Amino acid sequence: MTYNHDLQFGVFVSPIAEPAHHGAELAMVAEAAGLDLITFQDHPYNPQFLDTWTLIAYAASVTKTIRLAGNVLNLPLRDPVQLATATASLDRLSGGRIELGIGAGAFWDGIGAMGGKKLTAGQSIEALGEGIELIREIWKADEPTSLATNGNHYRVEGVARGPAPAHEIGIWVGAYKPRILRLTGRLADGWLPSLGYLPDGPASLTAMNAEIDAAAIAAGRDPSAIRRMLNINGRFMESERGLFQGPVDSWARQIVELNRDYGISTFILAADDPQTIALFGTVVAPLARELAGEIVRA
Amino acid sequence: MPYYGHRLSFGTLLDPVTDPPERAVELARLSESLGYDLVMLRDEPHRPDLLDAWTALTWIAGQTERVWLGAMVQRLHRRLPAVIGRQLASLDLLSSGRAEFAFGPVESLNEVEALDEAIDIVRAILDVAELGTVTIDGRHFPVMGAQRGPLPQHTIPVWLSGSALPVLELAGRTADGWIGTAAELPLANAVIDSAATASGREPSEISRIVTVQAGDPLLPLVIEHGAGIILLDSNDPAVIERFAREAIPALRVAVDEARADLPAVVPAKPARMRAKRREGIAYDAIPITLQAHAVEPGDAAYARLRSNYLRGGSPGLILRPGTPEEVAEAIAFAREHRELPFSVRSRGHGISGRSTNDGGLIVDLRLMNKVEILDETTRRIRVQPGARWMDVAAAIEPYGWALSSGDYGGVGVGGLATAGGVGWLVREHGLTIDHMRKAQIVLADGSILETSETERPDLFWAIRGAGANMGIVTSFDFEVDPIGQVGWAQLVLDATDIAGFLQAWGSWIDNAPRDTTSFMIMGQQRSARQMYAHVLTVIDSDDPETIVSRLQPLADVARVLQQRISIETYADVMANASDHYHQGQGDPAVRSGLLNQITPEFAEAASRMIQGGGSYFFQIRSMGGAVADVPPEATAFVNRSAKFSVVAFGPSRSRLNAYWNEMTPLFDGLYLSFETDTSPERLLDAFPQPALSKLQRLKEHYDPTNLFRDNFNVLTGVRSEELGVR
Ligand SMILES: Cc1cc2nc3c(=O)[nH]c(=O)nc-3n(C[C@H](O)[C@H](O)[C@H](O)COP(=O)(O)OP(=O)(O)OC[C@H]3O[C@@H](n4cnc5c(N)ncnc54)[C@H](O)[C@@H]3O)c2cc1C
Repeated sequence: MTYNHDLQFGVFVSPIAEPAHHGAELAMVAEAAGLDLITFQDHPYNPQFLDTWTLIAYAASVTKTIRLAGNVLNLPLRDPVQLATATASLDRLSGGRIELGIGAGAFWDGIGAMGGKKLTAGQSIEALGEGIELIREIWKADEPTSLATNGNHYRVEGVARGPAPAHEIGIWVGAYKPRILRLTGRLADGWLPSLGYLPDGPASLTAMNAEIDAAAIAAGRDPSAIRRMLNINGRFMESERGLFQGPVDSWARQIVELNRDYGISTFILAADDPQTIALFGTVVAPLARELAGEIVRA
Repeated sequence: MPYYGHRLSFGTLLDPVTDPPERAVELARLSESLGYDLVMLRDEPHRPDLLDAWTALTWIAGQTERVWLGAMVQRLHRRLPAVIGRQLASLDLLSSGRAEFAFGPVESLNEVEALDEAIDIVRAILDVAELGTVTIDGRHFPVMGAQRGPLPQHTIPVWLSGSALPVLELAGRTADGWIGTAAELPLANAVIDSAATASGREPSEISRIVTVQAGDPLLPLVIEHGAGIILLDSNDPAVIERFAREAIPALRVAVDEARADLPAVVPAKPARMRAKRREGIAYDAIPITLQAHAVEPGDAAYARLRSNYLRGGSPGLILRPGTPEEVAEAIAFAREHRELPFSVRSRGHGISGRSTNDGGLIVDLRLMNKVEILDETTRRIRVQPGARWMDVAAAIEPYGWALSSGDYGGVGVGGLATAGGVGWLVREHGLTIDHMRKAQIVLADGSILETSETERPDLFWAIRGAGANMGIVTSFDFEVDPIGQVGWAQLVLDATDIAGFLQAWGSWIDNAPRDTTSFMIMGQQRSARQMYAHVLTVIDSDDPETIVSRLQPLADVARVLQQRISIETYADVMANASDHYHQGQGDPAVRSGLLNQITPEFAEAASRMIQGGGSYFFQIRSMGGAVADVPPEATAFVNRSAKFSVVAFGPSRSRLNAYWNEMTPLFDGLYLSFETDTSPERLLDAFPQPALSKLQRLKEHYDPTNLFRDNFNVLTGVRSEELGVR
């Protein structure tokens, strides 16, 4: 199962506050390296980091082609109406380069300290579902009616719709457990787990994919509507020692294998130095694309 | 006729329309190019034809360079103030200190109460200088132990807008500014001023920001109603341009005329900031030219400037001049505060130099950081003191040049180039000061002088080694060397036999050609069975064979455990410091000694010190070579015969000294930059006679009141009555 998506490559950069231009500078590096995407984690309770949304907006402003997303934005501390307006606004300003990676939240003590509501896992998934639906509604600027919803977590009345984004913003969810995987299958455009959190490594992906696929089908969607993405960690080394621990050609081969075996099509490398980002964008990505093309032709 | 003393400023108030989204961006850029001070975006959540103001503002930050950026943010019920605080700090950091902020109009009482809480939370999140987390158990926004930060670049003012009585009262009670229309201003002033006074504030703590339409009468707003910032409410480029070209200059002239006879007024700092001021400083008398960049304990920027790389500080005032004339003004201000501690700082890597203090003044030169090429044929450059050596290296690298300075790129030009400069090319090209051809210095009396071998040669002699005693050097002319790529070797060697290793390393480098300079570092001993030495070596050659041949003998010195050898530019070797601000704490214990030879006696003593935990960072730098080509009497850096500079950082003064005193007889003087001992005896170690007497004579001539005394003061131990200081 490959879900028929083209291969895409991105990076996951720390939104550190000192020096403040770290993230924006690496966005330029990633763009110059031909990468498709730069993403930033979002932990608003952590003041070592810049506000991720502000960083994304700034990094979008100083780049031209690369797409940007939170990986993933913290819904409990970011109001969905506000988030919908903000992402649509930035999507318009950037010519359609913004995607919305979003998560149900973790680190509830930190969330509570900031003034967010502490939720149970189940509540937070329910809130995520409501939030996603609400965001999509706000984006429908052309609907004549104003918006009213009455969820358990988000209630709005008479909220103006719009602005409309410049392109169809993909909503990507970070998920591991069955309930949120099902939500991903039902509602999301992308699934964004991290390799480091998979209990059995890539092998875990099979069952998780199946959960998403089943939920998609149950909701009347085509499973390939959900792009399978993966945050990866690794190191370039002279000889191959494991997954993403080796020379560039072994990275490329492993990417193609993960694509073939688990349908992963977007690979996002955690990297905070320009050399690694440049290598990933200018060497690994083209190698992997070439290799994937050969397999298809063969 | 209220006049709150704020500098008259102008801005545009723009609608960030969704279609086309770049409209507001272009108008913002236009505003900047026309000289407006501020761009403010309107946020109207009920208008889907407007972009989210915060997002658009951040986008504009990436497209502008100078203009302040503000948004009138609404929808408080959809935002968490603690997150707003982080966002403000983030925009401020990303825009290099240009973020301003207003809470958009609120009308209902409930909202005003929420606003009151929100302001407290935002301010607390931004107040990184306070200890502990933020807990404000509000009715609207319960914040329970949120961490403070990030630390913004400047103190971000919080403005309010809205004309409802409770909003005006709140503004008077707590805001830094109020925004309203011309029609609302007179009444608003009355309410704000009385609310301010009632809560113990000065009305001038609150700036008045007025939105106007083109054609509105402006002069009365300013003269009669104290408007400080005029915001043109227009989205028409022609109107924005005409206003800038006609209305603003005319208004400035008219205001100047109307105020010609009025005494100058300085707007009051908010009480919460004044409370953090230190005693004995005439904060209200800071010269106007220095005000914009002056930083006091209540300012956000204080946390970035209070400490040094290695030392914590709590100064009462930091002045940041941008020109030699401003340096002279800052010195005059320091003269008026002669009884307070006074420090001079370039980039804060002083070890001997106490470029921070407790309760006193600092003249910080980081804004003077230019590197200029004067003449390509003679390889002359002019460098200001606030540049870092990595910046100098990068600026001259494209010409194929380098200037040996030190091993760390973050070190400032000012501190190093007034003391010596033992760097990566020292054996081949001598000390940094040996390349100095001319300098500009501001003296204690404020005079700005040039000095060179031919102009005031005595002063020129003194500033090359004891510059910190004479004044503030504001520019240095250097003749630099043509240097191509260099060999850069970072090795880790087995130094378990510490004494044996030190001698072998010493004799290797002593016998190496001048193109090779090597620094050796040992850390704390972790286990008796193993000790490592980091040996960092630069070879001025881009030929791999030469590089290898220079390093080869090291293999006989000790077992090589790790090695990284590359061929790089000197600028790459120097690009090793981060932009993080200094967060030094405490007061380091560091000793320096110069050595002609690593004798068995010295090596044994050093070994005992390291094994006994007397030093957690022990470094020996090779010198010799070209350093000794310059005669000892040529500069105030006198100890020129030494082959090695030895530095030890200790866990405490007494622990370090217990071992160091044993070694003292073996040394041949010291290099002042690495010495923290301030006893008078050290003076002769740094400046053997007749140098010290000569320096003292010059000191009495150029700095008779001993104003400059934070770095190896040559009058230490000389009684103050002898100095004419009252
Ligand atoms: C990590 C580190 C590495 C170092 N490496 C080297 C090295 O390789 N070689 C070497 O020679 N030294 C080295 N030093 C020592 C360094 O040269 C001195 O500490 C120097 O004073 C630092 O300069 P600064 O401008 O950063 O310091 P600051 O702290 O800004 O200034 C230190 C003192 O210099 C004086 N001063 C500063 N600017 C001026 C000025 N414009 N006019 C007059 N006086 C002024 C002041 O008295 C001040 O107290 C190192 C220091 C550190 C912390």
